[in-house]
This record gives sequence, structure tokens and C-alpha cells, in this order.
Amino acid sequence: MAEIRFENVKKTYGEDTIISDMNMTIKDGSFTVIVGPSGCGKSTTLRMIAGLETQTEGNIYIGDRLVNDVSPGKRNVSMVFQNYALYPTMSVKGNIEFGLKNRKVQKAERQKLIEEVAEIVGLTPYLNKKPQKLSGGQRQRVALARAMVKKPDVFILDEPLSNLDAKLRQQMRSELVQLHAKLGTTFVYVTHDQVEAMSMGDEIVLLDQGEIMQMAPPLDLYNYPANRFTAQFIGTPPMNLVSVDQLPSAGFREKAVEQIGFRPEKAKLRHFPGNDQFSMPCTILNRETLGSEIIYQLDTFAGKLYAKTFNEPVVDDEQLFVSVNNEDIYYFKENGRCIAPYFNRETPIKVRSTV
Amino acid sequence: MAVTSVKSLSETITFPPVWIPETIRFENFTLAWDSGPFLRYFVNSLIVTLSILVLQLFTIVPAAYAFARYRFFADRALFALTMITLMIPTQLIFLPVYLQFSSWGLLDTHLALILPFAANAFAIFMLRQTFKQVPEELLEAARLDQASEWKIMYMIMVPMAKPTIITLLLFSFITHWNDYFWPLVMTTTDASRTLPVGISALTNVEGGVAWHIMMAGNMILVVPILIIFFVAQRHIIRAFVYTGVK
Amino acid sequence: MSRWLERFRPYLMVAPAIIVFVLFFIYPIGYMIYLSFHEWDFISPDKQFVGLDNFAGLSEHPEFLKSLENTFVFTFFSVGITTVLALLLALWINRPTRFYGFVQGAVFSPHIISLVSIAMLWMWLMDPQYGLLNWGLEMFGLPQSQWLASPETALYSIILVAIWKSIGFNTLIIIAGLQSIPPHLYEAAALDQSSRFTSFAKITFPMISPTLFFLIIMNLIGSFQVFETIDIMTQGGPLQSTNTLVYYIYEYGFRFFQLGYASSAGVILLIVLSILTVLYFFLMSKRVHYQ
Ligand SMILES: Nc1ncnc2c1ncn2[C@@H]1O[C@H](COP(=O)(O)OP(=O)(O)OP(=O)(O)O)[C@@H](O)[C@H]1O
Ligand SMILES: [Mg+2]
Repeated sequence: MAEIRFENVKKTYGEDTIISDMNMTIKDGSFTVIVGPSGCGKSTTLRMIAGLETQTEGNIYIGDRLVNDVSPGKRNVSMVFQNYALYPTMSVKGNIEFGLKNRKVQKAERQKLIEEVAEIVGLTPYLNKKPQKLSGGQRQRVALARAMVKKPDVFILDEPLSNLDAKLRQQMRSELVQLHAKLGTTFVYVTHDQVEAMSMGDEIVLLDQGEIMQMAPPLDLYNYPANRFTAQFIGTPPMNLVSVDQLPSAGFREKAVEQIGFRPEKAKLRHFPGNDQFSMPCTILNRETLGSEIIYQLDTFAGKLYAKTFNEPVVDDEQLFVSVNNEDIYYFKENGRCIAPYFNRETPIKVRSTV
Repeated sequence: MAVTSVKSLSETITFPPVWIPETIRFENFTLAWDSGPFLRYFVNSLIVTLSILVLQLFTIVPAAYAFARYRFFADRALFALTMITLMIPTQLIFLPVYLQFSSWGLLDTHLALILPFAANAFAIFMLRQTFKQVPEELLEAARLDQASEWKIMYMIMVPMAKPTIITLLLFSFITHWNDYFWPLVMTTTDASRTLPVGISALTNVEGGVAWHIMMAGNMILVVPILIIFFVAQRHIIRAFVYTGVK
Repeated sequence: MSRWLERFRPYLMVAPAIIVFVLFFIYPIGYMIYLSFHEWDFISPDKQFVGLDNFAGLSEHPEFLKSLENTFVFTFFSVGITTVLALLLALWINRPTRFYGFVQGAVFSPHIISLVSIAMLWMWLMDPQYGLLNWGLEMFGLPQSQWLASPETALYSIILVAIWKSIGFNTLIIIAGLQSIPPHLYEAAALDQSSRFTSFAKITFPMISPTLFFLIIMNLIGSFQVFETIDIMTQGGPLQSTNTLVYYIYEYGFRFFQLGYASSAGVILLIVLSILTVLYFFLMSKRVHYQ
């Protein structure tokens, strides 16, 4: 068990700087999810923790130990790979045992450990099979067992569920969360799926182009996005953004607000302007009915917006108004930083239009 | 014509236009066997061929692995050198190599038949391809499992490349078991001659050519190859065809 | 210590193979080129530098010229006929039947049997007095041939053996090429009501032509090295009619101890093979472009 600390870590490949200056502390025992768009440096970050890549500059600590010069095998880190990376010529047992043998663990002890983990992940009947004979989910479990048996300080997982079908993925998600609860080890989990991130992590690191956009627990990320990127990355459909230039009301200039935003699920569709601070006329362009929820695509004078309703009757009138409560409105400065409504509730800006 | 290939060879133990011999004369084999030091030839062939296989195993695997997995100074140049070797036939270099062996006093020894083939450029090339196909993740998993580089090679990579390695060894076996040219050039006495050279001497038996004995002699040469071929036909054909369409 | 090992590991790993290559392939080539500019009989202590005299000598040496001519005739006919026949055979065999495995085995086995056995088998078949071939010719009322015994027919007899040996292998490779043609191309052509011949000319042939090119070059390279059948079946005779380049090198090196001449002839072979090899790599890079 250990926390992981990045200190001014920089990573370049030749001319390309992938990560310019990363500082973060991954809490001991946390389930930290690193999420971000493809190519943003998630795997690179993970592989630097494991020692499979060496950072160009900066320090990485695992626990109190500076691991810059420690080889991957000696960091006491276990990794689960996207394609499982099971040794195809060894049986399930051989796969789990390989790392123990390399650590010169005694035979009796090995046997005990293997039985233990096989029990936990439910692989006991398959110990003598070759990995090729197993289903995707079972292979994933072997990979987990192989990682667990070493009793590592840190578990790192790089998109471990992306090769599974939707149903199995769902199941493995909750199994992983339970496993984390049982082991209490630090988990660092990479995914590019925000739903996975939100549902599994107790801490989320949101990366974009090698920079940490925000590091916070899931709900904080949702409720208090630090910037435009976070606001748009978390939530489907993404947060609506309206440029203030297109709004008639004053009051933005002095606060240097460039855009305002609101989540589709906070938008209300009405036949009349209502009393909310934000309200504008709209027409429905498109409607996606997903069962309990309905997603509307709206056309307004400020561009296309989304609205999402839950368990409400379908509206299909021509002329409507979309309105949002003032406390649900986010304000974004020119540099993309977000001033959450909670911080300046005392000076609400009235945004109304009936054009 | 093609079908005449194998089966007909055994039919040829009889005199020409008779298709099926009235009595099957196994004594032709003993006759052939007795008409020269065939046991010696056979043992020589075995020693030479098997030594080549063992040596190749020890040179090819590490070289292919290094070329597939490491970047090092002059790696491309050394690989290019390997590829050039691949293109040099023995028919081109036998003369200078002969002179070399003669100055080392190694002519007419097993070593002269073994050493030049202790490594095999084609096999290195093929095995390198195989090693390159192993996903990087697998090696990383092993590294995290604290396996040494050496252990990664022989515990993970080599078992994964086993089909290729076996095919390449079969390939080598066939080539060197059958080889006539090199032993012809490098040997002068029966002490180191191999089967193909020994058998070819049957054409010069005085008092006319004894076809039936000659064919029986050839059976000794051909049968091991055919056994291997029929056991591993698919492997072998795939390997040979691959060389043609790579 | 371990860092040191880390750095040198790749070199240690390639070293054994590289040493063998340099010692027995690369260096000898250099030595051969060196010898080609000298006159030496293997016994006398010093080698005399003669510049290009060996090559000049070769160009007027009837035996060498004959061997060169024979090599080209051999190469031209054996490669040409093998390729055409193999293509026809491949087109004919290439349909999945129950016997495919058997046909494959039968067709392939000449390729893995020692040339010694093949040469001896054919010597027996071609025996002018009681060989099967003459017996067959007689049965069909055709005139008998002297086969290997006559300078007129000996080289062609050797060519026949070469074709017999390599045709199966060539056929299998062409079949492999044919099978890699995506079937939907033919389906599209069938919908366009193309005739069988058009399908061949417009789909099959262009699609396997890279394979054919490579086969031809590999066969050319192989043919220029022909030796075994000649040494066993004719020893270059009768009357030099089957003397070829490699056999010439062999004879001049080992029978007549004219190492300068032999090496020069070796250099000429080297040049021919180099040209073919360059052509091979050129085509290979071209083919990568197509894909
Ligand atoms: N070995 C390498 N050499 C050069 N560039 C690399 C190398 N590995 C990664 N990169 C670059 O680094 C950047 C980050 O890669 P990384 O694999 O960390 O992305 P990722 O966030 O894991 O993306 P994904 O979600 O697609 O897995 C990419 O732009 C990639 O092109
Ligand atoms: Mg990745």
C-alpha cells in the first residue's frame, strides 16, 4: 500500500512533448481513474508509474521511495493490460505463478497463494487450462489474479475492460470495485470512457494533452468543473455553451465572462418564458427517445442546444422556451476557467430574452 | 510425371521394364550396404546434420531475438550483413572456403562440413519476423513479473516461436542431409564422407552400373527424409511455400 | 556490472551468427575477388598479381565460353518451361478436392529428395539400352533417344530433370498465390459476364504476376548454380556439352588447380547473382508499394 506522487514530471518522445509538467498525488488506498481523450497521455502516465517508460524529467515516488531508477519488476507494482497479455504457452496456473517463481517464493507458499487468488476471482476449476481456452471475462480474471498474487503496493490497469462486451463489462466493473474494497490497495485505472470513470473511481484525474485538467472525486467533477474542458468532457450530452456575445443582457463584461453553460439535464422546456433567469425561445430539431429519458436537440438564436428530460411526457410543439435556473448556470472566463454559480450566487446575472 | 516421384523409387529396385517384381529382393539393400562403408557414411551424415541443427539453435535464436527486440549501434548494418549472407550460395564461396580450411588443416573433417552452417541467415530472418509479432505487452507483463531478459527469451518468446523453430530445423535437416555439393568439395576420404557423396560413388562401380543396388542405396538416403516429410508434411510445405511468397 | 552486460547483451547475442557469416561467407567473397586478380596454382608459395589477365583469358577460353553458353541455355529453358508448366498445372489443380493433400504431397516430394537420388533415378530412366524412357518411346512407336550419352541431347536431358524437380514446388507456390486472390473479384467478374479467358487475363494474371516474378527470379538464381545433376549424371560431358559455370569453377579449382581462373569465373557468377538479387529487392520494394 502506498501513495503515488508525481513531481514536475515531464515526458518527451524525441521532439514531441507528451507531458510537460505533471504534479499530482494519488492517495494511498484510493481507486483513482485517469480519464481523457485518446492520445492525451493516460497510458504514458501509467507506464511511468510501472517503470515501463522512464520520465524525461522529474521524480516519481511510490510510498516514500523515489523510484526513478527502480526497474519495473522491483517497484512492487502490478499491471493489468488491455489485451490481458497472458503468456499463451503457460497454463492459468503457470501465468499466475510466473512472477512468484521469479521472486523465488517457496513452492508450498506459491501453492497457497495461487489457491487463494484463484478462489477470489473464481478460477479454481480452470487452473490447468491454457488461456486460449478461456472466455474474455475469464482471461480478464486470470490477468487480475496474476496481478493480485504478488500482493503489490499499487495496482495499475490500462483500459482492462475495453475488450469485453457491454454486459460483461458492467459486471466486471462492479467486481473490480468490490475487489478494490476487499484488498484496500491503491488502484490506478485508465479509461477513456467517462461513464466508467464516474461509476468506478473515488478520485478522477482528467487529462488533456498531457495536462491535468482537474483532479477531484466524481461528483465534484460533475458539479464543480474547474474549466470548460471538464465541463464538456463529463456528462452526455455535453454541457451547453452559449457565447455571451449572443445574449442581449449586460453584466458579463466586467466579470470577463466569455461563455455561459448549463447541463442539458437542467434545462426545462416550457410553453412560456417563465421566471427563470435564463430563458430563450427555441424549436425542436430532433428528439431521441431512450426510454426513461428523452434528449432534445434545440435550435435557438444562440445556436444548437441540448435538453434532457427524465420521466416527462414528450413535448412536440413547434414553439417552445428553454429555461434554466440561475444556480444551474456556469460562467466561463476567456481563459476557459469556470466560475461556478455557487461562488457568486450573490450577484446573479439576468439572462432573459424573448426575441 | 509428378506422381512417379516417390513410390516409383521403390519399384526401381527391380530391372527396368518390369513394373512389379516377382520376388521382392530385400537382399539388394544388404548388397548396397555391403558395397561401401555405408554405416560410416550414415553416421557421418547424422553427426554433421545434427551438429548443424544444434549449433544453429544456439546461434539463431539469440541473434533473431536481438534483431527483433533491441535497438543497438549498427543493428541495421549487422542485419544487412545477415541479409547479404542470405543471398550468397555455397556454390560461390566453396573455393575460398576450401583454401581457408586447407590452411587451418581442417579439410576432410566433420568440422569443415559443420562450421560454415553453424548459423543460418534465412532462419534468423524468419525467426526475427516471428519474434516481432509477439505483442510488446507480453514482454512488459514479464518485466513486471521480475523476469530477467534471459528468462523472457527462453520462457516466453522461445515457447511462442516453437512452431517456427521446429519448421526451420526441419528445413535445415532436409537441406544438410541432402547436401551433396559441400561434402563433395570438402571431403577426400570415407572417414568424413556423408551419404549423398558415398552413394553417388555407386555410379562408378566397375563392371557396369548395378541399378538395383544403386536404387537400394538411395533408399537409405531418401527414407529418413520421407518419414520426416510425411510426419510433418503440412509444416514443411507451409515453410517452403512461405519462402517463395514472402 | 549489470549495466555493462545490459549494453553489450545485443552484441553478445548476434556475435556467434555474425562471426560465422563473416568467416564463411563475407570474407571468402573478398578473398575470391582478390584471387581473381592473381595467378596461383595452390602449391607455389606466392601469388602473382596479374590484374585483369584472368578475365581476359577467360573471354578467349573456349571451355569457359561453352560453360557460360550452357548455363544460359540451361537457365533459359529450365526456368521458362518450369514457369509456364507450373502455371498451367496450378490453374488445373487449384480446386479443393479430397485428393488435394495427396496431390500436394506427391507434387512436392521431389523438392525435398536429395538431388543425388533424383539424378541417379533419372540416369536409370534415361539409360539408352534398357531405360524406361526409351522403352516408353518405343511403345508409342517413336524413335529412341540417346539422352545423356549424346552431346546433342545431354543438356536437354539435364534440363528435363531440373524441370521435373522444381515444377511441383513452383506449382504449389503459384497455387498459394492463386488462393490469396479474393473470391469477390471473380464474383464481380461473373456478374459482368466475363469469359473465363477474360477473367484470367484481367484478374488472375495481374494478381499473381508478383508471385510469378519472384518465382522466376528465385529460379534464375537457383539455375545459375546448377551443379549436382551435372556432376553425377554427365560430369560436364559428353564433349563439354553440359559443362556449366559452377562446374567449370569446380573443375578449374580442384582438378586443374588454376585458382586465378576459377576465382575469376566465380566473380562473374557473383556479378550475375548480384544483378538478380538487386532486381529481386527492387521488385520487393515495388510490391510493397502496390499494397
Ligand atoms: N513510443 C512512443 N514514441 C513516440 N510517441 C509515443 C510513444 N508512445 C506514445 N506516444 C505518443 O504519446 C501520446 C500519448 O500516448 P498514450 O498512449 O499515453 O495515449 P493514451 O491517452 O493512452 O491514448 P489511448 O486512449 O488511445 O490509449 C500519443 O500522442 C502518442 O502518439
Ligand atoms: Mg492508452
